[in-house]
Formats: sequence, structure tokens, C-alpha cells
Amino acid sequence: MRLSHGFVRGETLSCIYHGWGYAQAGNCLRIPAHPALTPPDTIRVATQPVEDGGGIIWISVGEPAAGPPRFEGLAPLRSMMVEADIAALEAVAGTKADGDLLDYTGNAPTIRLLLAPQGQARTLVHVLVAEGSSQAERIAASRAAEALRRAAEDIAHGGIAR
Amino acid sequence: MTRNAMIDEWYPVGIAGQLDAHGRKTALMGEPIEVGRGEDGNAKVTGANGRALPACIRYGHVWSSLGDPQKPLFAIPEADQPGRRLVDVGVVRVRCSPLRAVENFLDIAHFPFVHTDILGAEPHTEVQNYKVEIREDEDEVWATQVKFYQPQAAKSAEGGITTEYMYRVPAPTCSILYKTCPPRPGEWDVITLFVQPLAEDLCDVWPWMALFDDETPMTDLIHFQQTIFVQDRSILENQIPGLLPLDPGMEIPTRADLTSVAYRRWLKRHGYTYGAQLVAQ
Ligand SMILES: [Fe+2]
Repeated sequence: MRLSHGFVRGETLSCIYHGWGYAQAGNCLRIPAHPALTPPDTIRVATQPVEDGGGIIWISVGEPAAGPPRFEGLAPLRSMMVEADIAALEAVAGTKADGDLLDYTGNAPTIRLLLAPQGQARTLVHVLVAEGSSQAERIAASRAAEALRRAAEDIAHGGIAR
Repeated sequence: MTRNAMIDEWYPVGIAGQLDAHGRKTALMGEPIEVGRGEDGNAKVTGANGRALPACIRYGHVWSSLGDPQKPLFAIPEADQPGRRLVDVGVVRVRCSPLRAVENFLDIAHFPFVHTDILGAEPHTEVQNYKVEIREDEDEVWATQVKFYQPQAAKSAEGGITTEYMYRVPAPTCSILYKTCPPRPGEWDVITLFVQPLAEDLCDVWPWMALFDDETPMTDLIHFQQTIFVQDRSILENQIPGLLPLDPGMEIPTRADLTSVAYRRWLKRHGYTYGAQLVAQ
């Protein structure tokens, strides 16, 4: 179970399954099934450097050489899981991704997608829109992202059926 | 390649009350099967190429096997006890290993976090010591004297009570839970988890109950169990690794996990490895 499904209380991150709580350094603080037990120091999870930049939470694998990228003029809109790989998203968007960035202009204002592959056939997508977009524009952008997701998943499922 | 020992086991493949002559298409361990009612009125299960598979009806469900079951289906004596209401809960499709589904059913430590305010609630998170054994005569895993504080243990429970549980694993993808019965002290409510392995990472879960409860409407009983299983599904579909590890790896079991430890050991001993992984990760 990933800790990202869990919950934060105070400075403790807890797992959603059995509530084991971890400190910022990754060591286990609490095993709720055994409240009297002090967890041994060997129970710990890997930690990564984390930074909050432009409304996006970034982590780095290893020590980063520089701060996280900045996307001037853009603001985060939403995140969504797509059951398809990046190639399927590119095919639907009609453009190639530049590294982990995909700019998509459908019938709505342009959106920028930050792509984080999750294994073979799944992509976590963070959607950005122009800063200062109106509510109507943000809704349109969100729907455009949804449509892109559905179309990419259709391609992915078609691929499986063959 | 050794023959998969799980081939010769019985598995649930549908609800007996829903059998019809048309048949229902489903799958068993990767093989497409069809479950219907034959001309003699009995359950009829056919595998790929139309071969006839073993079939029986018990505990509200149709049971079948791809192989040659060496034993009749396990006994649940309480199923025939007068006065119990038998509840076909229906089916929950879960994208997980069938063995993971059973293991999760055996776990009580997750109640306060996954079934919050129903089967458990903070700060009542402690799992007290209980007894676990592999009963050699019956060849079953048993956990007894399991106690847990529950805000709403059953549809018939009013307010929080400390519930006592017993767990039984009589077959690799089936478990039976015996649970304190609020309206009838001295008896146990029976809640089962019958798991149909569709593939190593996909299953249909058929919960079934035999309860002493004449009050609660059937719809509410079914809804209560479905609520619980849908909460479990969100956990089961996110387990890593997807297959159940039978060898010690990254996981750190505690005393609360002794039922799971015994279940895994029992699976490994029998070579029940469909939905399991043997290499530690
Ligand atoms: Fe559960």
C-alpha cells in the first residue's frame, strides 16, 4: 500500500491500511495494533527531498542539482490517473511530449500536462492552465483533459483487445 | 512443471438462486466457463470446448472445479441450523489476487482505518493476543479468541461492543468468520468470504451469511456487507505487490498478523500458489 493513499496528522504521515505512522525522517512512530510497542528503528520508509513550487509538490530522486522547474503564467488545475501510456496520450493530443510535458490545444484553451508514468499502462497527469483563467475556462479545460483521458484509454483498451 | 494443486479445489461460480437455462458466462482460473441449469434441474458447469465440470450447490452458491476434487466441499454445520437467515450478498469484482482477498478478510487491524466507525474506530486500535493454529485433522487454518472493539459490529448491534471472532480457512480461496451474535449470546453469526479466482490478479468475491437476525430487512443486511466489501476493494486494488508473497520479503509482520502468517504458510505447504509469488520482493 502506498503511503500516498494515507493521511497526515500533525507532522506524522500514516498509512490508510493499518495506520502505521511515520516521522519526517521516515522512521515508524506508531503501530496502532500494538499501542504499547515502541517500533524498532529498523522499521522505516524511504524518504525523498520535497519542495513546493508554483502550487506543485515536487520530489526528487537523489540530491537535486537545482530547484524544481517553474512554469511562468501557468497554474495547477487538477491531477488525474489515466489508464494508458504516454504514447496513447500523444496520439490523441496529436503532438509529441517534450520530456514529461505535453501541451494540448483542443477546442478549449491550451492545457499543459505534466506526465508521471506509473508502470506500463498508467500515467499520472497533472493538468495546468493559464494563470487567471476564469471559472468557465477552468471548467472547459478540465473537461478537455477528461476527454483526452477517455480517448487515450479507448486506444489503450483497443490495444489490449487485439 | 508441477500440477497446480489449486486446480482440484472447489470454487464458487455463481448464486444458486440465479441459475437459469441460458447459462452465465464467467471464468475460473483463466478458463472461460458457463454456469447454468441443466435439463435435470441441477447446476451445470461447462469449461472450454464444452467439457463438463464438476458442479454442486451449497451455501447459496454454485461450486465448480477445473480439476478433480478429492474431497467434498468443506462443511459449515451452522448453515443447516434452524432459525438462521441465509443471506446471498451478491458479487463484488475486485482487481486483485484471490489470495489477497482472503488475507484481507482475515485481518482485523485495518478495521479502524478502512471501516471507520463501523467495524472499528480510533483510539480502539489494539489487537489483543489471540490463538492461531493449523488444525492437522481438518487441514484448516483457525484463529480463535480474536477480540476487537467495534462501534457497529453488525446491522443488529446498537452502540459499540467488544466483538469476539473466530476465523476458519478451509480452502485456499474461502474463509468463514464466526462472530459474536448480539441478539443471541452463546451463538455465532456466520459470515463467509467465497472467492472465485477469475485470474491470478482478478476475482469475484461472493460473501454469504447465516445470521440470527429476524428484525433487519434483507436489503439492509446486504447493504451493510456490500458497504464493508467496497471499502476493502479500495485497499485490495492498491496492494503492492499484487500477488501474495509466500516467502518473507519486505513486509514486517507483527503479532496482529499471525493469522496471515499461518495462512501463507498453509498455502505454501500445499502448493496453493495461484495468485501468489514465491520470490521475495
Ligand atoms: Fe476489511
